[in-house]
Amino acid sequence: MTTDIHTVAADEVVPAAPVAPAGTARARPLRLAIVAGLIAFLLFGLPPLLDSYWMLVVTGAAIYSMVALGLGLLIGRVGMVSLCQVVLAAVGAWVALRLSYATSLPFPVLVLCAGFVTAAIGTLIGLPALRLSGLYLALITLMAAGAITIVLRAVLFPNGGGGFFGNSAAGGASSRMPRPSLAQTDAAYFRYCVVVAILMFLLAAWHVRRKPGRAWAAIRHSQATAISAGVNTVLYKLWAFALASFMAGVAGGLLAASAGGVSVQQFPVETSVTLLAVVLMGGVYSLWGAVVAAFLLRILPALLDDWGVSTELLTILFGIGVLQVLMTAPGGLADQVPKDLAKLGRRIGRVFSRREAAA
Amino acid sequence: MPGLDDLKPFLVLGLALGGVFAMNGVGLVVLYRATGVLNLAYGAIATTGALISWSLLGGVNQWIAYAACVAFGGAVTLAYGLVFGPPFAARDPLVKATATIGLLLILLGVMLWVWPPSTTRTYILPTRLHYYEIADVRVNWTQILGMIFPVVVTAGTAVFLRVTKVGTAMRALADDREITAMLGVPVRRVEAAAWLGSGIVCGISGVLLGDLVGLDIVGVTFLIIPALAAALIGRLHSLWVTLAAGFVIGIVQSCLTAFTRVHIGARPLADYRTITPFVLAIVALLFFARRRPLVRT
Amino acid sequence: MIEVEDLTVRFGGVVPIDAMTLELAAGTCGLIGPNGAGKTTFFNVLSGFVRPSTGRVRAFGEDLLAIPDFKRPRWGLRRTFQTEQAIAELSVFDNVLLVHEHTGGDRATRRGEVLKAVSFTGLSDVAHRLVGGLGAAQRRLVEVARAVVGRPRLILFDEPGAGLPDEETVRLGELIRQIPEETGALVVLVDHDMSLVSACCATTAVLDFGRLIAAGPTAEVLRNPHVVRAYLGTEEEV
Repeated sequence: MTTDIHTVAADEVVPAAPVAPAGTARARPLRLAIVAGLIAFLLFGLPPLLDSYWMLVVTGAAIYSMVALGLGLLIGRVGMVSLCQVVLAAVGAWVALRLSYATSLPFPVLVLCAGFVTAAIGTLIGLPALRLSGLYLALITLMAAGAITIVLRAVLFPNGGGGFFGNSAAGGASSRMPRPSLAQTDAAYFRYCVVVAILMFLLAAWHVRRKPGRAWAAIRHSQATAISAGVNTVLYKLWAFALASFMAGVAGGLLAASAGGVSVQQFPVETSVTLLAVVLMGGVYSLWGAVVAAFLLRILPALLDDWGVSTELLTILFGIGVLQVLMTAPGGLADQVPKDLAKLGRRIGRVFSRREAAA
Repeated sequence: MPGLDDLKPFLVLGLALGGVFAMNGVGLVVLYRATGVLNLAYGAIATTGALISWSLLGGVNQWIAYAACVAFGGAVTLAYGLVFGPPFAARDPLVKATATIGLLLILLGVMLWVWPPSTTRTYILPTRLHYYEIADVRVNWTQILGMIFPVVVTAGTAVFLRVTKVGTAMRALADDREITAMLGVPVRRVEAAAWLGSGIVCGISGVLLGDLVGLDIVGVTFLIIPALAAALIGRLHSLWVTLAAGFVIGIVQSCLTAFTRVHIGARPLADYRTITPFVLAIVALLFFARRRPLVRT
Repeated sequence: MIEVEDLTVRFGGVVPIDAMTLELAAGTCGLIGPNGAGKTTFFNVLSGFVRPSTGRVRAFGEDLLAIPDFKRPRWGLRRTFQTEQAIAELSVFDNVLLVHEHTGGDRATRRGEVLKAVSFTGLSDVAHRLVGGLGAAQRRLVEVARAVVGRPRLILFDEPGAGLPDEETVRLGELIRQIPEETGALVVLVDHDMSLVSACCATTAVLDFGRLIAAGPTAEVLRNPHVVRAYLGTEEEV
């Protein structure tokens, strides 16, 4: 295929974000109130309602929302597709476990270290691909994901055994990191994860609203736009990749201390592909999309399992979702649902005003 | 370190398996060159077809069962190309490849639903029952087919692309779709031919894989990886390099099975053998990145 | 002053620019020629998207071709394209801010300089509206604002009036005429609209098949029979 250097048309995975017709930021106070209410519910209202199985499920969802957030930023903001996000979470878990057995660093430090090491590895993976097109970046991440998965399958997660890999056969299949003292119970740990997730979302929002976000918007518009605005595209693409990898690493660190610990079986190859699907469906343009993605990835399967519905149907649904999003609904559900709700609201409003006029 | 005698059986299996990787790689490259679509659902299509054959065996004549796999490969690939080719035609190759992930997930879900992984399924191609003894190694006809088919397919495709009208049209399409269309070439029909051809190759590989490695759904679906690695080494362009790369990947990966006494960490080298395609592909990609200036678009 | 010396660009068998030697003096210079004459390719060489096979470009005494492409805006190069470059999901202010913060603009005076560029193009009223909600003419003006913010030294306009109705083109022309005085930059304007070129540019150069065929005061150049022939072709006596 010819690479036309004169092309200035956008080449992102999903078309540019749908722009609100009024062109200004939407009602801020209302949104903030809704978000605050949701967070309050998650922190205080939800835990008492759940049994230990469901507590595990929603904790997993909170953690995976960070992984989805990183991928969503990459795809939606910069137009880069990575197929190794889930594997990087596994790397994060590995690093956190290794450090927890080797040192006595406090929990937050362990998780941060996991984040930074994973960010470094992610940057290494993305670095060579920057000279190649977006398709090759996706493929190199796929290859890296496969390679890392195989290595992980062979060495397994550290469980306190000796040697660099830290795994001993006597230790058992899954390993678990000790939790921070203020989050020992499952419910407390869930709250801890939600708080960390909120911090990640704030980190993402900070990036999007400031210089990096503007630079990414230029890159996504086209390489030529970015270069002619003076943007160092290599730097900002790497930054995005490092940020997404950092989030995956932090998520992995948190996974290491979740109930049941981590085992290699938790990170199969298909999950990276499925994550891509749910992130696309959730909507890569809005940060809310990551929440929707986490719901689709972790909560919906558990619900279906409870109701006796086969989860394979979900896989089929995700496949259809990918095709649909790429063809018609670039903003995904996070964009579509508010629009549909707004439309519904307007229709209801019209019904009422018609009634008034008739009266 | 294993000696040549220890390696020989793995060499044969590696050639056969590598042949299937190579064949799939060539199928991927031809489709990519003609349509810009890197069909990541390739492995899933092959596996679904093989499972269909497995289900039909016992009920119908075995040749019909195997033909069904080939027909399925061709039909599904063609159907996808006809429905989802045009809407994505003008978009970036990355988008096109991502769309095929949708197909991959649909097929994966269908397979896991219709053929739950709780039982192991295998079939034995009639060709496995005939074998030769070459240099103390038993080589059966399935494996020989795995070695010969790719070469035939590659040579045939190369000739086809160069000599026939449709083939030349495909090469023109790869270069510039719009100009080709303006020249009066029936673009949609040529693309359909590329989809169909690619799908039939996929179906054939499905039949062979079912015999060579068995029908582990997830495993075979992601057997696209070695094929992809081979295609990448061929820079998504050269058929012969892809063919050679496929064989090399198969041989290296298979021969590593014999390295049970060389260890990395606590595990024998053999446990790491499936890393072969990934490592080779990464090395190839790094090599290509080195020679290119920063791509502008 | 821009000095182009013996510039040649080759793409395989095609030679879009052929041994071009040209001097662009201060103020606003026009660059015209039939389609395919090499004007956009020339801009692409200046932007760094295309590497010439031979030749040098000296801009204000510096070797422009030695500067990496993404650093040229920081040096002072600005450019618009035939296709739209304004980023729809950012506001007008953010579009201009983007350029200022990546071209070494002083952080202390950033806000002021961005607002100055926005008001220069008459977009102050819509400064905080998203570009996607604006009309075509206003979106073009956003690109002009991006070109003039900070300290530009060389501004390239590639058919800025394309697709705009006549009144808007006239307004755009008046704006472009003020730029050298406002910013001290050298402006090069490529366009097919001869009235726009006459209105804005003191001098004009003409390209045909990658070669320079005329250069000088705009009015003279537009009357030059070689130039007319390049655009309209010659009559054949049968």
